[in-house]
Amino acid sequence: MKHVITGDHAVAIGAKLCRVEVVPAYPITPQTLIIEHIAEFVNDGEMNAKFMTMESEHSVMSAAAGASAAGARVFTATSSQGLAFMHEMVYATAPLRLPVVMVNVNRSLSSPPGIWVEYNDSMGERDSGWLQVYVEDNQEALDMVIQSYRIAEDKRVLLPIMPCLDGFVLSHTVEPVDVPDESLVDSFLSPYEPDVYLNPEQPAVIGMLMPPQYFMEMRRQTAGAVEAAKEVVVEVNREFAKVFGRDYGGLIDTYRMEDAQIALITIGTVTSTARKVVDDMRNEGKKVGIVKLRFFRPFPAEELRAALSGMGAVGVIDRSISYNGGGPIFSEVRSALYGMTMPVINHLAGIGGRDVTENLIMTMFELTLEAAKGGKVKEVIWHETRGETL
Amino acid sequence: MKLKDLPDENLFTQGHTACPGCGAAMSIRNTIRIFGKDTAVYVPASCAVVFGTTFPLAAWKVPFFHTAFENTGASIAGMKAAYEVKGKDVTVIGFAGDGGTYDIGLQSMSGAAERNDDVLYICLDNEAYMNTGIQRSGGTPFGAWTTTTPVGKKTQGNRTFKKNLAEIVAAHDIPYFATLSIGHPVDFIRKVEKAKSMKGFRFLHMFTPCIPGWKMDPAKTVEVTKLAVESGMWTLFEIENGEKKITYKPQKMKRVKDYLMMQGRFRHMSEEDIKKLQMWVCHKWNLNYNEKGAPGVCEIEPPEEHHGVTEEHREMHGL
Amino acid sequence: MFEVRFHGRGGQGAVMAAQTLAEAAVIEGNYAVAFPFFGAERRGAPVLAFTRIDSGKIYSKTQVYTPDCVVVLDDSLLDTIDVVAGLKPDGSVVINSKDAPTDIDLGMEVHTGAVNATSVALEILKAPITNTAILGALAKVTGIVSIESIEAAIKRRFGEKLGEKIGERNAVAARTAYERTVTGKSMGVKRLEQKKQWLPTHQELPVGGALVAGKTDAGLIGPGSFTENNVSGWATFRPVRDREKCTMCLLCWFYCPEGTIVRISDKGDLMTNYDYCKGCGICANECPVDAIKMVRARV
Repeated sequence: MKHVITGDHAVAIGAKLCRVEVVPAYPITPQTLIIEHIAEFVNDGEMNAKFMTMESEHSVMSAAAGASAAGARVFTATSSQGLAFMHEMVYATAPLRLPVVMVNVNRSLSSPPGIWVEYNDSMGERDSGWLQVYVEDNQEALDMVIQSYRIAEDKRVLLPIMPCLDGFVLSHTVEPVDVPDESLVDSFLSPYEPDVYLNPEQPAVIGMLMPPQYFMEMRRQTAGAVEAAKEVVVEVNREFAKVFGRDYGGLIDTYRMEDAQIALITIGTVTSTARKVVDDMRNEGKKVGIVKLRFFRPFPAEELRAALSGMGAVGVIDRSISYNGGGPIFSEVRSALYGMTMPVINHLAGIGGRDVTENLIMTMFELTLEAAKGGKVKEVIWHETRGETL
Repeated sequence: MKLKDLPDENLFTQGHTACPGCGAAMSIRNTIRIFGKDTAVYVPASCAVVFGTTFPLAAWKVPFFHTAFENTGASIAGMKAAYEVKGKDVTVIGFAGDGGTYDIGLQSMSGAAERNDDVLYICLDNEAYMNTGIQRSGGTPFGAWTTTTPVGKKTQGNRTFKKNLAEIVAAHDIPYFATLSIGHPVDFIRKVEKAKSMKGFRFLHMFTPCIPGWKMDPAKTVEVTKLAVESGMWTLFEIENGEKKITYKPQKMKRVKDYLMMQGRFRHMSEEDIKKLQMWVCHKWNLNYNEKGAPGVCEIEPPEEHHGVTEEHREMHGL
Repeated sequence: MFEVRFHGRGGQGAVMAAQTLAEAAVIEGNYAVAFPFFGAERRGAPVLAFTRIDSGKIYSKTQVYTPDCVVVLDDSLLDTIDVVAGLKPDGSVVINSKDAPTDIDLGMEVHTGAVNATSVALEILKAPITNTAILGALAKVTGIVSIESIEAAIKRRFGEKLGEKIGERNAVAARTAYERTVTGKSMGVKRLEQKKQWLPTHQELPVGGALVAGKTDAGLIGPGSFTENNVSGWATFRPVRDREKCTMCLLCWFYCPEGTIVRISDKGDLMTNYDYCKGCGICANECPVDAIKMVRARV
């Protein structure tokens, strides 16, 4: 059935459909709607979860880790400062292999203070061992909560995962969302049954002090699990498509790339707007396409190489800056494309919530086309930034 | 439960790597054997993580969890939530130090207390950050040497008084708060059992001497604890449903000085500082614990000679 | 380059000894570095420290694997640690022992200097802190630094920290040990086997490092496995109980931080398992009928 709901509401429904058992929560704009909806579900008896009103995000992730280690399916949500505040616990969770699902509603991380979309909150957690997936619309937000549990709880993975959606652009925007039947979700997702957990009948010690003679193996193991998530993401996407009829492509998705001469790598809601721009430009005979980066962790380096092979140039949109010249996606993409010779252009746009318009995306395509023709184009472009020239 | 009825099995096993005479190890061991197997513990960053678990060895025979330092309250709340939702009857205990409770973990503890989460929070109070090598915490007493309150030419030792944690915790209107001393086994066992029999947020505040941190003979862990109680530096009481009750009244209060002189961390103290600390004890006692029949703090007795340890033993420990 | 490895126990001052040796070398115009191995062990547990001495700047930042000299501050370590591991054949050992080198079995015949540093320390410092005395022995055995430089370094380092008087007394301890050190060849009868260690690959490592009780070919792991850790070497003293006097009040059984006093229920008696006794002396101190005495663990 189609419901006209916000992204935050879709996420909350997703958590309910997954029969999550423990939800430690703390409010922060623009995530708050998620935990408010869940609180309503719980208090109305629609959801049989333990809802915990914590006193900070640090405690949210501490309780989440404790509950997950004790064997429960855990859900929470955060944003920006909240994610930064729980940073220590984000790092603590992944190597212990606790498959927590936490939705991050992207918002700029201070300073300066702002409440609008930027990816410097979640991308700052890229080395934590958490998986990250960025969604394009409210439907994908709901669907990825469901897929996230399948991916996270897969025995080959057992890692926490962070579905990310754009603050306000999705979190507070209503659009039609197909809410699947509970029974369909039950058939897709079985209850979480860990092999080892804090079980008094077979006690485990989790989080022991680890001396150097074991430490590298522990890190290597976590790295292996992140790597193993690649095939699991693809499998889960395929099976999800079979059951629910919606295919998101896996680690990346592509749009009109069949005979494209250049590609723009997009992420989040910008992808959606860019689809329309591609159609318009295609009507003018310009052979442009989109590669939608869905998973930032694990980073789909090989998939990108395959999708971008033969491109005259590649543009990369970053909605955050890593203060090293370009954005974090740009540095990862360029590293993934090492050895390939096409120009790679970084388009910095929409940072801190500035709107990314169709015109702006068209400019990005045009500049990327120009680079493909051998024209002189800056490598890192601050779009629509006063004092900057293209 | 009487002393002789305590179970024999060590659920915190031998071979752990705590320092000889460790008050925390002693308290953990006796608490966990009263609670038994249907228990899960969380230990924040502290000596107890190191001496209780060093991969792949562990002393715990009940489920053990550790992630960080400042999150004991939230972690045990999360663990308990999982057991509740799964319908499992498991007692969850957090063993945090004074730094992890008075200071960095205060907020997390307060959250769990205020929500009245059904957990047991234990503060093992050795009055400084011992795991990092003896730095001052909010629980460090006046005058004490620590590496961050050194005995300098200008300033000697800690210049502030021990934070009144009991009042802070009790102000959350929790079902049960008690202070414990390992030197008073009957009182200790009774309070641990009482905490075990109750539901909701329970807080046991245990006084746990640290040999290197207090610069004292390891044989004196229990003796110094007793003297802390006899001198009023540590008071045994419990707060149940808002009502405070002293559970052990010294016959006659001993001088604070006698307690101080047993420990290297206080030995530098001037007469003036000792007097200040004595006044603090008097004030505290008079304000909070002076009920009918309780001893007055000025009736003090000379120190007792203790027995059992050979002269050579004393010498070996530089006493 | 001259490399020294110190074996001691937490609280014995091995790190301070390594630093003081470095200082003595610098006093003589050399370059030297000293560093501990940062373990997580507590007071009484085995610890390592290292000193490197050379004429010019030292760039190596690794641990020492093939020392020219091994210093053993506590001969109880010989029971559990192969102290001569990696020692160069023409290297030397300096050991705190009441025995002569020829009576000490290191599992390797090697130039050895022995001194009863504990008695020197008790005599002069009135405390069993042997880290300065042992440096006197090191000067005698290796000649890498002179005893005069050791004395100067001790006065500087210890004096600064603990006061001039204590610095001077420690220098006397070093000089006394220097004079009493006996040198000779150690015995090479039985070489200690290194304790087997469980070293899983990253694939074998249990997921997330979470352990349930288990057994590997190196012994127990996971919950309750600390019983693999024999800590008897930590003890300077051990309790001896007089059965006649004991009233079975069980206070010692309650107080023991190690849990190593056990009830033999069928006999209605108590027993101390010395494998896990660190010799703290609480049982003796608290026994209400003086039934427990502390005696030297090794004579």
